[in-house]
Amino acid sequence: MGEERSDVLQGTLDLMVLKTLEAMGPLHGYGIARRIEQISEQTLHLNQGTIYPALLRLRQRGWIRAEWGTSENGRRARYYELTRAGKAQIEKETESWERVAATMARFLRPASSQ
Amino acid sequence: MSGVRVILSRCAALFRRRKLDLELDDELRAHLEMAAEEHRRRGLSPADARLAALREFGGVTQVRETVRLREGWPLVENLRRDAGYAFRQMQKNPGFTTVIVLTLALGIGATTAIFTLVYSTLLRSLPYPHADRILALHDTRLHGASTGGLMGVQRFFDLQARNRTFESIGFFFFDQSTLVDANHLPVAVEAAGSDAALWDVLRVRPLLGRTYTAADDQPNAPETAVLSYAGWQKIFGGDPGVIRRQIALDRRPVTIIGVMPPGVAVPEGIDLWHDAQFQAIDWTRRDTGEGTRFINVFGRLRPGVTPAMAQADLHRIGQQLRQEHPDSDGMWQFSSETLRENRYGAMRPALIVLLLASGLLLLIACINVANLLLSRATARQREVALRRALGASAGRIVTQFFTESLLLALLGGGLGVLAAWGLIHGVIAHLPGRLGLPGTVEMHWPVVAFAFAVATLTGIAFGIAPAREGRRVELHTTLKQGEARIGGSGHSLRNALVAIQVGLSLMLIVGASLLAESLWHLLKNPLGFRPDHLLTFSVALPWDTKEPQLRNFFDTLQQRLETMPGVTAVGQMDALPTVDWHLRSNFDADWLPRIANQPAINAEDRNIGGNFLGAMGVPLLAGRTFTDADSRLKQIPILVNEALVRAYLPGGNPLGRHLIVGGTPHEIVGVLEDIRGTAGAIAAPPGPEVYWPADGDEGVTHRSFMVRSRMAPDALVPMVRDTVHGVDPSLAIGNVATMDSLLNKAVAQPRLNMAVVAAFALIALVLACVGVYGVVAFFVAQRTQEIGVRMALGASRQEIGLLFVRRALTTAALGLAGGTAATLALTRLIASQLYGVQADDPLVYAASVLALLVPVVLATLQPAWRAASVNPVEALRSE
Repeated sequence: MGEERSDVLQGTLDLMVLKTLEAMGPLHGYGIARRIEQISEQTLHLNQGTIYPALLRLRQRGWIRAEWGTSENGRRARYYELTRAGKAQIEKETESWERVAATMARFLRPASSQ
Repeated sequence: MSGVRVILSRCAALFRRRKLDLELDDELRAHLEMAAEEHRRRGLSPADARLAALREFGGVTQVRETVRLREGWPLVENLRRDAGYAFRQMQKNPGFTTVIVLTLALGIGATTAIFTLVYSTLLRSLPYPHADRILALHDTRLHGASTGGLMGVQRFFDLQARNRTFESIGFFFFDQSTLVDANHLPVAVEAAGSDAALWDVLRVRPLLGRTYTAADDQPNAPETAVLSYAGWQKIFGGDPGVIRRQIALDRRPVTIIGVMPPGVAVPEGIDLWHDAQFQAIDWTRRDTGEGTRFINVFGRLRPGVTPAMAQADLHRIGQQLRQEHPDSDGMWQFSSETLRENRYGAMRPALIVLLLASGLLLLIACINVANLLLSRATARQREVALRRALGASAGRIVTQFFTESLLLALLGGGLGVLAAWGLIHGVIAHLPGRLGLPGTVEMHWPVVAFAFAVATLTGIAFGIAPAREGRRVELHTTLKQGEARIGGSGHSLRNALVAIQVGLSLMLIVGASLLAESLWHLLKNPLGFRPDHLLTFSVALPWDTKEPQLRNFFDTLQQRLETMPGVTAVGQMDALPTVDWHLRSNFDADWLPRIANQPAINAEDRNIGGNFLGAMGVPLLAGRTFTDADSRLKQIPILVNEALVRAYLPGGNPLGRHLIVGGTPHEIVGVLEDIRGTAGAIAAPPGPEVYWPADGDEGVTHRSFMVRSRMAPDALVPMVRDTVHGVDPSLAIGNVATMDSLLNKAVAQPRLNMAVVAAFALIALVLACVGVYGVVAFFVAQRTQEIGVRMALGASRQEIGLLFVRRALTTAALGLAGGTAATLALTRLIASQLYGVQADDPLVYAASVLALLVPVVLATLQPAWRAASVNPVEALRSE
């Protein structure tokens, strides 16, 4: 039970991080986590820490890159930004999600209507 | 694609572990601070803000662990850590480590050295293209002694014409020639006469120049020669200008047209090949006799033909020739073997014995190391229990132990390979026969890979015992006690290991004893002649030298040699004992019934001259030896040896009787003592032999001289050279060697076997004693408390001592019993190497058991003495 959830979660979390960076530009880990919380309108109860394994994964795959910089209040923080490959990955995954959603929608529609 | 990126990134992380850890810590800290600040802005107190931030984050340690696991490669990082730990352990116990590494080096080094021999001969591919398609073709008699596989030229031409399975068949024969190069002194060379087809069989590209073709092989074409690499270096100093140079070979002009690369060994040990220019029409069968067999034949199979098919075709042709020429070919057939068989087949049984012996030694070494590591594992039980309690899984502990074992094994293996390399290069020149030829035995990469594999396997093998011990540790009992005191764990394992060690050592000692006894029998066999103070050399006149030049030359040389100071006798012979020379004839006897096509006697022929009996020291058992006049008679008299008389005229007097060959009767005028080693091996019992005078119509042009002197034979060599040069300056002497050194060479293989196995047996004995000592000492140390209790209950010191000795002896006895059984089961393997001794000789076994038992008992005495001198009060009080 826990395994399945974490798999689905991994995939969706990756896409959420990528979309966040696409919308917001370069951002540090805390910022990404807060933004995801905001967008999902608090429906997602995520431990903020789980973002870091996801960021590592995305970095290893070359979809985002990391750089040390200074935050708003002068603190040293690591900023992540999207790469070109990451942008292409967003398109690919968005397409795939929309296809899944459309298929599911067809199944979940009441049987009588077309 | 992205999978590759991930792997690369993980590899890179292996080297930047510390930096990555610090960066992650920084990042997580920054995150928590930013979160706390946000909460403070919302009005929480600093302390509450921090708590809220932590709660929102989740488990910091967990996140850190997850990221770290994904960043690097836990497997590799764990291995690195284990290896580092193992190194530190080794440095802390240098003595212990040294003993283990040396023991392993001995075992792995021995196995590697022997495997180098095995690989170089039996496994490495031969240096000819598709060498597995080359077969050696032999002429063998249907019954009785063959001539070492040599073929008759007529049969060769028939074979060449009629076969359907070979794409080319060629031959060579051994020749001794004198080579004169422009303004240099004559040099005696080992030559091989061959046809052009031999090069088609071998298909080796020459290093320089070319090989002779069918056009060169015609009778009136200019004669050509191809140098071997060794010959090129030795005679011409590697001069590339030697191509197209004309030299005199046996007083005939010959042009050198090519040089072979090193390693071309068909045949080995020669300086050059020259084309024989044989033609089929010159070699018809004579009316009488079976003809002379003197060529070695090799063939290359057609594509798609198997050796079995070729053999069947050979049988067919043999059958045809038997029917067409019943007189000369009626008793002969063809057989074949692969080139590798031909070259190294004879030494395969010996090499396998050596390989097994080295394997046994390796096992014994491993057992010693396993026992040593077991002792240390027992001492480390506290450490293991602590690690388990702190959360290490059993798998990690086992990995740790295996890493240590593997590291030790690889260190020992590396040292062993170096030792083997040094040994091979130091001893290589003294190896017998084909093994000693340069370039034959070398440590190639597959051998090193083999050593590496052996080291890994041994590391795993002896690592199992302590690793098993590590798993079985019971946490709470071990942590509570100071050290494990219960004698239960590991005792039976150790006893079993020691018993196996003793058994294996017994196998090696029995093997060494059997080989030593064989060698002794071989050496003390009466040779039939006296090899001491005997210098031998060969002189070769051109084949076509006729009377009277032949007689003049050899008579003059004989006289001049006899007058040299210190010389007591000079003899001549066509081929010395221990030389691989075959010349046999069929005879009828005037005292035996004559049956058509079934000659009564088949014997080895030898030609002798000069004072053969005096020089060789062969006793004359009856009659007389040859005189000068004998070779001029129309019916040349002959001598025979005792073996012929024993076989064909037992109890009778052969003097005055006749042997008939080619229709001519020859009177037997004398009987000689049997000479051992006539056709090569001195192990074989002498067969019937017939001796002819070397001079005569078809006098022998290539002769070996035997010079017996009062002084050391080597001192004579310069004088002999001058004497020969004085008789004929165009000739040179070759094969200069004392008879003793020739005999030495003949026993070199059995001597090598014995020396190697004896060395292994000695090392095994030492290792076994060390092993026994170690185990008994360990038991004594483990059971100090028990000794105290026994003493308190009234046991005397002797009883305590005897207790330990008895237990050790029981183990040893079990090992001896097992070893004896195993040795008896494996006697088949060593039987081929034995001479004059049975593989199950009870005396040898009894002596070996004693030889092993005495040191083992001695090894148990010291620890037993220590056990007996234990102070009972201290023992009872000890923790």
